Amino acid sequence: MVISGPNLNLLGTRKVSIYGEGSLEDIHEGLRKRAAELGVEVECFQFNSEGAIIDKLQEATGKYAGVIINAGALAHYSYALRSAIGSMLVPCVEVFISNVHAREEFRHKSVIAPVCVGVIGGFGKKSYILALEALVNLGNP
Amino acid sequence: MPGKRVAVIHGPNLNLLGRREIGIYGGKTMEQINEEVRREAEKLHVEVEFFQSNSEGGLVDYIHSCLGRVDGIVINAGAYTHYSVALRDAISGVKIPTVEVHISNIYKREPFRHVSLIAPVCVGQVCGFGSHSYVLGLRALMEERIEPWLP
Repeated sequence: MVISGPNLNLLGTRKVSIYGEGSLEDIHEGLRKRAAELGVEVECFQFNSEGAIIDKLQEATGKYAGVIINAGALAHYSYALRSAIGSMLVPCVEVFISNVHAREEFRHKSVIAPVCVGVIGGFGKKSYILALEALVNLGNP
Repeated sequence: MPGKRVAVIHGPNLNLLGRREIGIYGGKTMEQINEEVRREAEKLHVEVEFFQSNSEGGLVDYIHSCLGRVDGIVINAGAYTHYSVALRDAISGVKIPTVEVHISNIYKREPFRHVSLIAPVCVGQVCGFGSHSYVLGLRALMEERIEPWLP
């Protein structure tokens, strides 16, 4: 399960200098391609609403092998999202397109990072691909 | 970045990997991790060199030595991550695209490990995936557009 949070539906049209060109659909397409190479399936979702993300995450356990999440701005303050991820019985990887540490101070802290397996950020759209590779590799330590 | 050269740098105490706090850092030795990275580098057609030092100054000297010689850096700066301004200045000074990696998820650990002084001058960060963090860090460097994502 791949989830992108608020405003990521605007990728390619908004702050291109930070988030790069290309749409969220391009990212999803790239993920599907890499997933096929790795022998796994991905389903991609985007929600602007915090509650909708929580609803989706609650479906993850038992139905998906892992979750990749770019929570967007919610990463920095949504304790509800943190609780939802913490309640899952499947591993979650947090991704960011930009290097959040090079940006505004309020973006330096992620409240969901401690309940994720790990974090990948700063590599543009490739952050998602690397997260997929990370999740798949969790099976072969 | 095929055909290019990447330096993989290990900071303090990472020479003890496989013997120290295995619950956090896993059972692989630094040499085993280097071997995994070497195999990945072969697939990606890049050359890698490895360096480990327990000394902050040793790491700074080595980063300086990369100038004009190395096209990208993967660094696990260990505990220096969280307080070494000198290391940060070395990375920003040489302007070589650098990826920060950690074996553990530093955000799950003590609060003093939640801040990385080098993160703002790196391209990005990979943490929490054990030895695979290094492999992902190397793969991240292969991104065609290597440049910091600034505000």
